[in-house]
Amino acid sequence: MCLEGYAFRLRPVTDQDAGFVVELRNTPGLNQYLHAGATGVEEQLAWQARYYDRTDSYYFMVERRTNEVAEGVFGLYNVDRNTATAEWGSWILRPDSLAAVESVYLLYRIAFEQVGLQSVYCRTVAENRKVVSFHDSCGITARRILPGHYEIRGKKYDAVEHRLELAVWSTVRTRLERLSQLTARRMNRG
Amino acid sequence: MDRQRVEHTVRTVLTVVLKEPLNSADVTRQNTASWDSLKHIEIMFALEDELETQFLEEELAALDSVKKIVDAVLSKHAA
Repeated sequence: MCLEGYAFRLRPVTDQDAGFVVELRNTPGLNQYLHAGATGVEEQLAWQARYYDRTDSYYFMVERRTNEVAEGVFGLYNVDRNTATAEWGSWILRPDSLAAVESVYLLYRIAFEQVGLQSVYCRTVAENRKVVSFHDSCGITARRILPGHYEIRGKKYDAVEHRLELAVWSTVRTRLERLSQLTARRMNRG
Repeated sequence: MDRQRVEHTVRTVLTVVLKEPLNSADVTRQNTASWDSLKHIEIMFALEDELETQFLEEELAALDSVKKIVDAVLSKHAA
């Protein structure tokens, strides 16, 4: 499952991406609020092999269209075909990337327009205020606190869940698409 | 274009986009939770319009404080 955007594309993760994913997930400052993942390529490849067999998860690379260089990674998982809901997360981008808005715009398009979901939610460690703010800035107003939801490296954290319903998607889409277009225009002017 | 005017414009744009008053003298993305990735590009685009300048792609990501933005704008206008 791929989707082309204005400056970026989402494409499924492959074995060739394992090194990049390990490097990104183990970058100090980027992994503070992530569960411990693979620390080596072999371990990551083993995880990916298990992922390839799953029918309820999609794991995407965020890639720049002009040079096909990977800038980030994230997933859409726990896809429930009966309730048409799924969670997205494990979102990490290179610190210098401008892909934040467009990658999320593309992910929601895949969720609603390709997978056919009615509702998508994202849970963020409440302390991770910058990412909580990002979801708010997207225009997602349906949110709730999940006390002690996460345990990361032995410490409990509250989560903030932002939920986007299909009925609201068109409004959020307009905002994200406009900013994605403007960003791509700046990137392409050289 | 003098530093005071540029800084005033930058702070005004930040206040409008972030929808909150700026607290510290040196406002940075690090110390301002609401200055997220989406707001950041809104801020940079608004500043390009207000200050009649264009930021390089590398600058769009790297200009993460009022001081850095003001320095970059003054440098461009001096060039």
